[in-house]
Amino acid sequence: MIDTFEILSTSGVVLWSKNYIPVGNNVVNSLIREVFIEEKVAPGTNAGEDSDTRKPSYKKEGYTLKWTAAKDLGLIFVAVYQSLVHLTWIDKLLDNVRALFTELYKDELKKPRTSAQMFPFDDYFDRQIHELEPHADATAPKIFEPTPSVDLTPPSSSGTDREGDEPPPMPGLRKAPQKPVYSDNTSTDATPVPTPDTSRPSSPAVSQLLTAKAGPAAKLSRRGRKKANISSAPVSSGDESPARLKAVKKGPTKKSMRRWDDNGMADEDDGTVLDYSAASLDDEAAGTPMEEVDHSTWGKRTGKGEFVLKDLDDEMDSILAAANSKKATSEQTGGIVGSSLGVIGGLFRNVVGGKTLTKEDIAKSMKGMEDHLLKKNVAREAAVRLCESVERELIGMKTASFTSVETTINSAMESALSKILTPATSLDLLRQIQSVTSPSALSLQKPRPYVISIVGVNGVGKSTNLSKLCFFLLQNKYRVLVAAADTFRSGAVEQLKVHVRNLRELSKREGGEVDIYEKGYGKDAANIAQDAVKHATENGFDVVLIDTAGRRHNDARLMSSLEKFAKLANPDKIFMVGEALVGTDSVQQARHFNAAFGAGRSLDGFIISKCDTVGDMVGTLVSMVHATGIPVVFLGTGQHYSDLRTLNVKWAVRLLMS
Amino acid sequence: MAWYDDDSWVTKALGPNISTIIIVTLIAFALPLLVHSYLYRARTFATLPTFLLLGPSGAGKTSLLCLFDNGKPSETRISQTPLSATITLPSNATARSSKYRSENDPSMKKNRQFQLVDIPGHGKLRHFTLEHITKLQNLKGIIFLVDTADLSTGSGAQSDNGLLEAAEYLHDVLLVLQKRYTSAKTSKGPKEIPFLIAGNKQDLFTALPTPLVKAALEAEISKVRETKSKGLLDSGIGMGEDAVEEEREWLGDGGEGKFQFKQMEEVNVPIEVICGNVLGDGTNGVEKWWQWIGDQM
Repeated sequence: MIDTFEILSTSGVVLWSKNYIPVGNNVVNSLIREVFIEEKVAPGTNAGEDSDTRKPSYKKEGYTLKWTAAKDLGLIFVAVYQSLVHLTWIDKLLDNVRALFTELYKDELKKPRTSAQMFPFDDYFDRQIHELEPHADATAPKIFEPTPSVDLTPPSSSGTDREGDEPPPMPGLRKAPQKPVYSDNTSTDATPVPTPDTSRPSSPAVSQLLTAKAGPAAKLSRRGRKKANISSAPVSSGDESPARLKAVKKGPTKKSMRRWDDNGMADEDDGTVLDYSAASLDDEAAGTPMEEVDHSTWGKRTGKGEFVLKDLDDEMDSILAAANSKKATSEQTGGIVGSSLGVIGGLFRNVVGGKTLTKEDIAKSMKGMEDHLLKKNVAREAAVRLCESVERELIGMKTASFTSVETTINSAMESALSKILTPATSLDLLRQIQSVTSPSALSLQKPRPYVISIVGVNGVGKSTNLSKLCFFLLQNKYRVLVAAADTFRSGAVEQLKVHVRNLRELSKREGGEVDIYEKGYGKDAANIAQDAVKHATENGFDVVLIDTAGRRHNDARLMSSLEKFAKLANPDKIFMVGEALVGTDSVQQARHFNAAFGAGRSLDGFIISKCDTVGDMVGTLVSMVHATGIPVVFLGTGQHYSDLRTLNVKWAVRLLMS
Repeated sequence: MAWYDDDSWVTKALGPNISTIIIVTLIAFALPLLVHSYLYRARTFATLPTFLLLGPSGAGKTSLLCLFDNGKPSETRISQTPLSATITLPSNATARSSKYRSENDPSMKKNRQFQLVDIPGHGKLRHFTLEHITKLQNLKGIIFLVDTADLSTGSGAQSDNGLLEAAEYLHDVLLVLQKRYTSAKTSKGPKEIPFLIAGNKQDLFTALPTPLVKAALEAEISKVRETKSKGLLDSGIGMGEDAVEEEREWLGDGGEGKFQFKQMEEVNVPIEVICGNVLGDGTNGVEKWWQWIGDQM
């Protein structure tokens, strides 16, 4: 059972929602924050192209969220349910609700003031739930439902009450041209298409299997026949199975207008079985028991008060059917005349603007864009993702006046890049150090040193960047303790000693103070780090900078010691140093290091070193942020202590797009 | 049939035919009308006064917009795209420009309308708007919404994140507005942009009162400015082409001393702090904000 279903606009207004069990706002909010804005989780394909692939899902606080979007209207449909429950029909529900909602309220939604609208959607939704839910429990009984409902349609649909609120859809609405927002492959497939006929009769064994699959769910009335089926020899069952098949198929053939229930039984097995029977059957012998089943379901359903909602139901079906058929026709359009006119119009539009972009239009330019990004040393994975997100954004959009497709793509890519590079939270390191080392009197916190540790692969410049960072802190008159936790590489401690001596000289008149904490080689780095923090607390240092040994990111043994390190030293910030020179490997580096600190701890930022050596090929920035969603805090831009910079997003984007 | 033949269409179009005369007359009379109607429509659309609604995520911007628009706040989630709505002032607030207008003046209604644009407050979505603030047509004012219940400097380093975020965002916005003034080409300077800091969520128990909101924000902005001045240069400087013109600028009096909102008046940005509440009982919560908006129109 689902807990909550919400229909949101991208501008943040909840247009319609249904709460079965109240779910906190933060669940949906974190979905939006992490999936849509920060893109920590790849949003997947959320346009309606392939409903074969499952809808993306997101887990938070024991809830699973599934969503789908109607891009052109700026709507997001979110279903929330307990992660413990496994619901297979949610995808279906999302698709159907999207189709219904966009059809019904098309006109209202196009107006800019969506905040004022009230949508009487409850009845439709309840019907959807009602139709889909039993489908999850038992597949086969669902098959029999169409039959009674079609039989009953004529008397009930004509004049019953409309449940109070007049739903807006008119016949005219359905015919109005509309983009194929809703597209559902399974349902279009499920409309009776006699293709499998040729193959089926030749293989009775297969049909036997298929019926066995459909069989067990039709419980009561089937039981006797099932026994007979099992006991009987394969030869005789060859007779019987078509009979059963016929009964199964009965509903779908009779009801041509009720597309909806076709949707309900989405599995292809049913479709093929049905088609087979349509070709070969004339045996009426087994028809009678099925009649009984029909009546029992019929009675039960009437008992639930189904009739009251019948007209709504029909309306809903026709909308869904219309959405389906519209999709089918839109695929077929375009003869020679149409296409050539389209080409000319497309060329013209390309110059003037106002062209509605399709996947084909932008495919070529997108490829060029991808190559361009790859040339800028962006890892392929990141480049592909960026291009996909731009593509998702652009498809179905209209280009602005006097803008060509290329310009549109360029500007979309620019905004995608700046979105990915812009940090979600403040990166003001000084401000954070200040609040820890000298907390305000009200906060009842003891001042303690601010601990920063630096990790990375061998030779990327950990110690160098640490000393640059140290110089920056010294200039701001902090007392800094450098902890040499690289107890592995020979000369590492001496290197730091040299740095500290230099820095001490440099900062003498500035007022900062720096010292080194070292315990030689061979000791456990985590313990040294812990001792260093303790030492700093006792001696009133403001900041502790911990240098660690370089480690290969795919060496599990070395990486595992980082978890202990994070636990014992408990740094406020863990920065990873990455080279700007590194190519595709940057993604893996960032991922592995990000995961190395155990649950509940991750990297806090990247320092990208050697930026001065790559010119405008600063793609590593993008790759690393893409892999983890963690911002770039500093850039190393030279050989001097002062060559440390913060990232200017505009600058980086300009370099990447140049 | 060549184009210069007697019965070619070129000859007909240039000759004294009755059909040509009719067509030309039609075009001659219809074109000005069409042009006029097009221009007229475009103009009325553009001149609606615009107010921007900014603020950190979770301050209640979209709720406020819905409240202004519908009379009641609706449930909201994090915004991803801007939302704009044409809003009519309620009867008890009057626009300053129509102070002396009669109640029965038919143009009264038109003068009461304004456009309110809600900008998403999430950190990643902000900077697009910062670049566009100054380019908006007919911008009459900026409303910066803050969550007063989230501003307290009290318990713990975690809890003053709200204040820090609000202050940083506010700092950035004000800096953009200041740059607009200082980089103006004319001696007169650009026109005034009134700025309202609207403290939301006064209905909550932990909310700070108006004077404290103001003090807390001013103090925090001073700190932000201080650490920014001490911070590292960013990578754009010295590496890009426009390094020279992008001088660093400090908010307020050259970045010295304590920052006060009053200092912004020098750059034509008068700041007011008014608190209220979107949710909670009664409609008193937003009355003063309505009044402020009315005063700016």
